[in-house]
Amino acid sequence: MMRRTANIILLLMAVLFCYGLQISKPHYGDLIGPIPARGKLGDTVVGRAFEVHAEKVEFARKLKVDQFGQQKVLTTGGVWAVVSVDFAARSESTVVSTASWRGPAGLTYDQTERLSFMNGLLPVAIDPGLPRKARLIFEVRPDETSNATLLVSEKLVAALDSQAEIALGPVAVGADGLPAGTVDTLDMLQSP
Amino acid sequence: MLEGARSRLKAWAVAGIGTAVAIAVAGVLGAFGARHEPLPVLAPASQIDTGEWLLRPLKAYVTAGKYTYGMPLKPGGKALVLEVEMTNRTAKSTKDYFDVLQASPATVDPATKPFIVLTRDSTMSPELHPGMPERMAYVWQLPNGAAAPASFDLTVIRKTYKPRDNLYGLPGWFNPMPAGTLTLPIGAGPDSTDIQP
Repeated sequence: MMRRTANIILLLMAVLFCYGLQISKPHYGDLIGPIPARGKLGDTVVGRAFEVHAEKVEFARKLKVDQFGQQKVLTTGGVWAVVSVDFAARSESTVVSTASWRGPAGLTYDQTERLSFMNGLLPVAIDPGLPRKARLIFEVRPDETSNATLLVSEKLVAALDSQAEIALGPVAVGADGLPAGTVDTLDMLQSP
Repeated sequence: MLEGARSRLKAWAVAGIGTAVAIAVAGVLGAFGARHEPLPVLAPASQIDTGEWLLRPLKAYVTAGKYTYGMPLKPGGKALVLEVEMTNRTAKSTKDYFDVLQASPATVDPATKPFIVLTRDSTMSPELHPGMPERMAYVWQLPNGAAAPASFDLTVIRKTYKPRDNLYGLPGWFNPMPAGTLTLPIGAGPDSTDIQP
């Protein structure tokens, strides 16, 4: 009887221990996730194979672009956010292909696919010693603009590779609910 | 004699209780949920929540124009266009909308995949961003010589969220299942009015 009770208590303790491990230890998805390289606007953030320096963020209601020789004005349901960045490769040529905008609520906005015809967007090939400018263009909700984080990585699935996480800082909100300093039309034909 | 009857009774009782317990456990685990329920019929002028998407059907029409939202049609062909407002309810930009709406095989050849276009600037199947409603057009090429029907049936497919999938341990939407059907009237043309504001 004594022995049976001891066995049952041992079994319960083992169950409890395993449950504790299950809820407290990181999951596989967290272990193989991207490795963050953190910085803020104006810093040069150094990853494994590339460096990125975010210079400024502009907001606009509309974008004026050139598509195959025709001028087009692109509208959006939210607000356009354009981040001017400089990329540099560290020791070998590489390609930076993805960028996302993570808002304060955790919503993640990928780079827009509506401008795929334009130059100077990702993916950008970079070579050591030859820094390049690029523009990252997002469509975001106006309430996701303040205290956002810019995520830049080489591959779509940045498993076990570095991902630059650039804090973009607070953005004042204007009377119309859009970020202060939002221009009506941003001309993308002018170089950054 | 009496002894034999008692043991037989005991055996029957044990077998009966065992069966009842087995059926109860199967019921608790959801075995009876696999019964085929008829699909719910959804109201066309409503918001349809598929988990991943919030859909608001706006209008449907048949067009013979050469270009519908920049999509070239075969000469002499007609296309069925469904305009729908879609809102991404997830936390990430996604384009997982190719299987959300399926036109009934009575109207559209099941092998015909629709073109899916953002009506704002005719971008072909762009990613849609969280919490930003966008008007999208599903364009199905109709079979040659088919007359424009007065209405057509759609099946709405929903998916289930898993916080960790079994292969990579990453979150995602899996297991497409029909969520309901709806019948939409087919309007006169691209200028017909929306069925809901």
